Amino acid sequence: MTREPGWYKDAIIYQVHVRTFYDANGDGIGDFQGLAQRLDYVQELGVNTIWLMPFFPSPLRDDGYDISDYRSVHPSYGVLDDFKAFLSAAHDRGIRVIIEMVANHTSDQHPWFQESRSSANNPRREWYVWSDTDTKYRGARIIFLDTEMSNWAWDPISKSYYWHRFFSHQPDLNYDNPAVREEMWDIMKFWLEMGVDGFRLDAVPYLIEREGTNCENLPETHQVIKELRRKVDEQFPGALLLAEANQWPSDLRPYFGNGDEFHMAFHFPLMPRMFMGLRLEDRKPITEILQQTPEIPPGCQWCLFLRNHDELTLEMVTDMERDYMYDMYAKDRSMRLNVGIRRRLAPLLDHDRRRIELMNGMLLSLPGTPIIYYGDEIGMGDNIYLGDRNGVRTPMQWSGGWNGGFSNADPERLYSPPILNPVYGYQAVNVLSQKRTEHSLLSWMKHIIKVRRSSPVFGSGSIEVLYPANHRILAYVRQLGKETVLVVNNLSSAAQAVELDLRRYKGNILVEMFGKNIFPRIGDLPYLLTMGPYQFYWFKLRRI
Amino acid sequence: MVEETFLTDEFLRQLIDVGEVDVLIGLPTHNNAETIGPVVQAIQAGILKCFPRDRAVIINPDAGSRDGTPEIVAGASIDDGRHASKLYALRTLHSISTEYGLHPEPGTALRTIVAASELLRAKACVVLSPESTTIEPDWIQRLLRPVYKDNFDLVTPIYRRHKFEGLLMRNLLYPMTRAIYGYGIREPYASEFAISGRLATDFLTKESWDNESDRISPEMCLTARAITGEYRICQSFLGTKVHLDPSAGDLVAAMRRTAGVLFSSLDSNFSLWSTVVGSHSVPILGPESELVLEPVQVNLKRLGEMFSSGIAELEPVFRSILSPATLTELQTIARSKDGNFNYSAELWAKTVYEFAASYHKSVISRDHIIQAMVPLFRGRTLTFVLENRDSSAEEIEKNVESLCREFERLKPYLLEVWSHRK
Repeated sequence: MTREPGWYKDAIIYQVHVRTFYDANGDGIGDFQGLAQRLDYVQELGVNTIWLMPFFPSPLRDDGYDISDYRSVHPSYGVLDDFKAFLSAAHDRGIRVIIEMVANHTSDQHPWFQESRSSANNPRREWYVWSDTDTKYRGARIIFLDTEMSNWAWDPISKSYYWHRFFSHQPDLNYDNPAVREEMWDIMKFWLEMGVDGFRLDAVPYLIEREGTNCENLPETHQVIKELRRKVDEQFPGALLLAEANQWPSDLRPYFGNGDEFHMAFHFPLMPRMFMGLRLEDRKPITEILQQTPEIPPGCQWCLFLRNHDELTLEMVTDMERDYMYDMYAKDRSMRLNVGIRRRLAPLLDHDRRRIELMNGMLLSLPGTPIIYYGDEIGMGDNIYLGDRNGVRTPMQWSGGWNGGFSNADPERLYSPPILNPVYGYQAVNVLSQKRTEHSLLSWMKHIIKVRRSSPVFGSGSIEVLYPANHRILAYVRQLGKETVLVVNNLSSAAQAVELDLRRYKGNILVEMFGKNIFPRIGDLPYLLTMGPYQFYWFKLRRI
Repeated sequence: MVEETFLTDEFLRQLIDVGEVDVLIGLPTHNNAETIGPVVQAIQAGILKCFPRDRAVIINPDAGSRDGTPEIVAGASIDDGRHASKLYALRTLHSISTEYGLHPEPGTALRTIVAASELLRAKACVVLSPESTTIEPDWIQRLLRPVYKDNFDLVTPIYRRHKFEGLLMRNLLYPMTRAIYGYGIREPYASEFAISGRLATDFLTKESWDNESDRISPEMCLTARAITGEYRICQSFLGTKVHLDPSAGDLVAAMRRTAGVLFSSLDSNFSLWSTVVGSHSVPILGPESELVLEPVQVNLKRLGEMFSSGIAELEPVFRSILSPATLTELQTIARSKDGNFNYSAELWAKTVYEFAASYHKSVISRDHIIQAMVPLFRGRTLTFVLENRDSSAEEIEKNVESLCREFERLKPYLLEVWSHRK
């Protein structure tokens, strides 16, 4: 596939872990052959990009984010040729593929680390961050508070401490070392030459450490990224770099540089505020974070999501907001993990179809490229008793049959038990049954994705937030060239009346984008809309 | 017939924009720009501190201020508008004003507040005085929480007062209300209180808002409604409230608003209060009362003179209102020398009851009856001051309690004069 500039702006990304999607060889673990077999489903859903979670050889102590070989495929998922076949099949269907680049750290089982720890004189010694004491970089916070006591871990083999921002089995690479930077670029080249369309770079704020700082977002880190971006642009134009940096918008803005660092970055603070606004029935948290969201260079894009493979992170909220979110969405303490909530979209929203639709409606209409986490399109549930974040990484539910249609293996052999409970279990929630129903969540998701893709205004248009006096209504105008779309969301569980000041669009009629029905022409008076509980409208403005 | 509406379309439009709320803060105003600032700040701080997650609105019925009062109150909004407040709030705090110039009376203001409370389905509604410059953010919680969390329907305040402040309350309103209705409410008709949604709805749907009592002293009617409707009532200690003793002119008006309305309420509730014997205590959150004991200068001579001249000048009026025995006793007191002045609790209770009965029967103009009470109240005030000049807080409380018991003991006398005036 050719990579047109800015293709990612109109992308709708489907996030999937190969292990969870479909098991073609019957060993209880999803694999690339299985994923390839299910590409028709992905295509029918309407998404045009797949983001694959780590599939590399790994001890799997952190679901693959602990890589022990960057140039291969974990044997459970197949071989490199299986990946190539999958990639080709995806491209044949017009689906791009972006993969993970866990650049900040490796597994402690990676041969590099094994060599590094073997001796202070080993040539790989400087590939990691070593110290004789555990007192350096005290300004750096501990991210995995539930499991880690320090960012330093004692290595009994080399009798010194190594630096790790995440789990202690994930030593940080030393990006001050040019050899490390060169090696990581070689790895990226390896995959880009194979045809992947881009990378999600994991944990980018932590690449460089400096004494007297919090070791996040350092200028030297930006230099590393600029160097990578320059090489991508020169050698693989159009390939995407997507930043995972869980930061406030103002701290995130530098990761776009002058359009010379990342193409896209996740908008982490927006996501919890969407949930907060919904529960508060008040647009304030959402509009405030939009107000705080800086302009980004042309060619750059925010990446939006509702849920993903991690906990619903609450790092980028105030203490008061965090307490509120915990009380509203995670009353049971076992739903909480680190600084977040380990639940899927449907259970978070009490299986309420109207709220699920509204949240997806906002996801797909706010400025940015949306990501849909696998299974959320059918309303899959979670299992908070599985430990860590495994409860949101259960097998995809394809049918009401054996193992939910995920695998022919004995149920006991599956990498994870499927969801079995009567509300969210595969017999109640599955692709096959929802495909047969015109009004299922899956059918609705296909429809809204189609509507979203019908207009480039959602991917590339500007946004102007309206501030109607009714604070339960979140309304904004998206505009691109001559195309204007009005989005109105009712965050309330009750019907609402709202008056919108649309005088500048006087003379236009509104065309509701789902049913294509026309609404009255805009005049001088405030435009009155009445909205049902959790209802939303997308209107195209037309001057006829 | 189309029922008259008292809410403007513009106000209704604003209420629609606010939508359902959990707590509503009513703030009636009229040219209060000088004092309203600290009140608004305390409301904001109180809501943000104690009810940050709850849907809240400030409703400001304004009687046509020309000093910018409504604009100050409207500035209390915390929203996502372009001029976002520096205060951090989890959710939007609304503040809306409406002018009710057509009938600028307290009753219209309270009616507007309870109507808004009902339309917005507020779970709890607190009404505050725009002149409460000593208000603290905690007042909001102390008034609202018992309604919001503990299912009380009416929360009345208890203030920290100087021992010679609030004399009308301590000598007349509290003892009489307690004896009449059997509820020991220290401040039965305060300008700060909280009510539940169901009491607001009940109060709003009462048959008439047109009589004078409703118009000039709606708080009294509300308390009477809560008592007679057997709603759950409690009291909450707030702290210091600035309270200036009313001047001569103000005292007549205050009497009208309080004693007049209390007397008036007896007419319609006879079947309810006539069978009540004794009283029971009303739960109190915080201290029962706090008195400030610093010595203050009271012009005792002037009080005595006003009482004596009143007795002399209004004798024809008193003959219509009081029993001969009571009048004779009062005349005797009026002639007493300095130092022997004593308007006893028993005589005071009898006097008040005879006034109430005369008011009921409208033996003369009701307004004249209330005005005639003013010099007598000054006499009772003089006795109270003399009795308690050097008393401790405990002793003062004991005296007030004793007066209350006297009112309760003499309640049969009220029933007697109510039907057959001596």
